[in-house]
Amino acid sequence: MKNVYTVKQVNSYIKNMFTQDFMLNRIYVKGEVSNCKYHTSGHIYFSLKDESGTIACVMFAGSRSGLSFRMQEGQQVIVLGSVSVYERDGKYQLYAREIVLDGAGLLYEKFEALKKELSEMGMFAPEYKQPIPRYARTVGIVTAPTGAAVRDIINISTRRNPYVQLILYPAQVQGEGAAQSIVKGIRALEKAHVDVIIVGRGGGSIEDLWAFNEEPVARAIFDCRIPVISAVGHETDTTIADYVADLRAPTPSAAAELAVYEYREVKESLYAYEDTLRRLILDQATRERGRAEKYALRLKLAHPRQKLNEKRQYAAELENTLRGRMDTALTREKHRLALCVEKMKGLSPLEKLSRGYSYIQDEKGKNVRSISQTEKESVLTMFVADGKIRAKVDSTEKLEYPGKQEEEKRFGRE
Amino acid sequence: MEENKEKLEDMFGQLETVIQDMEKDDVSLEDSFELYNRGMILLKKCNKAIDEVEKKVLVLDEDGETHEF
Repeated sequence: MKNVYTVKQVNSYIKNMFTQDFMLNRIYVKGEVSNCKYHTSGHIYFSLKDESGTIACVMFAGSRSGLSFRMQEGQQVIVLGSVSVYERDGKYQLYAREIVLDGAGLLYEKFEALKKELSEMGMFAPEYKQPIPRYARTVGIVTAPTGAAVRDIINISTRRNPYVQLILYPAQVQGEGAAQSIVKGIRALEKAHVDVIIVGRGGGSIEDLWAFNEEPVARAIFDCRIPVISAVGHETDTTIADYVADLRAPTPSAAAELAVYEYREVKESLYAYEDTLRRLILDQATRERGRAEKYALRLKLAHPRQKLNEKRQYAAELENTLRGRMDTALTREKHRLALCVEKMKGLSPLEKLSRGYSYIQDEKGKNVRSISQTEKESVLTMFVADGKIRAKVDSTEKLEYPGKQEEEKRFGRE
Repeated sequence: MEENKEKLEDMFGQLETVIQDMEKDDVSLEDSFELYNRGMILLKKCNKAIDEVEKKVLVLDEDGETHEF
């Protein structure tokens, strides 16, 4: 008895084989639902069966988002999941992640095929996406004229900007002929030269949304020279139209927000621009005025009048000095003159005449100081204190005045 | 209509440029006056472009005719 293994070893070996298998990790299995039990924990236990056999399935509560309808006995479904081993029972089962009704499963395959085809043709390529105008003035809408989608779009649009023109193309968005209706709507709005087009509808089942997965719609959106915003169903629904549109909005309301600019915001930014412009020009003017004033001051200082005034003042100062000096000089001379006058007074001959002396002149008017200057019979004029006397010389006699000799001697000795 | 397209966006771009130019330190008074005038004209145009007339939703029918919703 070689190589004996425990149950645990075998089960985990088998489980390992399952988990390493590429195919079993992600597999679509179709079949009929049986023994379906919704457990209180949220897990769903059921079996898939066909004419040959059954496979046990479980969908855990955490994967319930992959199931959008209530499963019932006998339904034909396609389950996406992985096949793995439940070791406790030694059983393998299908762990379901997504479950769709079989008809829908077909649609899903068609969807995937078209998506792949269009993608390979480059119809989803970002370089073909046209930018959505920020300030659309007319917005075209292709959707059903009744229902939540059109109401939401109109409400949001008019709330954001009642001055934007909305043009609705009432389209049939589900059922027979829906795709053609949508295509016509896109073309009609393109012809009407709107600025942007919203194509969409509210939420629904995959069949309801199907028109937005059809090739003619995809082509019409792709060919449209006006930017197209897609807005189909809810955020989780993605259609071919969403891939090919220039912009995908998660919901019709969101599409309205993307297509219609908010009037108040733009108005405010206009005011802001105006303020900025005004402030800048005023600042500039103030700055320039300041500069001008500075120059004016400098110019004033440099004006010739200023220099002239300076010179004039200098000249006046010089004049003052000059005048001062002159005055001093004059006063000094006047004093000197007065002094002279006094001295002269002391020396005046009249003074001597009034003391009894006389001044004698000969006929020629020469002062007679010696007897030698005259002779008998010559006429002399004698000046006395109150007049003059004309006299004839009778005789002359030499006299020795006492003291005079001595004086002379003294001088002579020296 | 084609002509009016994108105008607001363009004008906003131009306004930005005008303001940037005015914000430069070495711009002369004459130039800034010129820029200011241009900015004010652009603002006027912007206001005109926003054309405050409330619009009724129109419906485009099969024949390409429009009527009120």
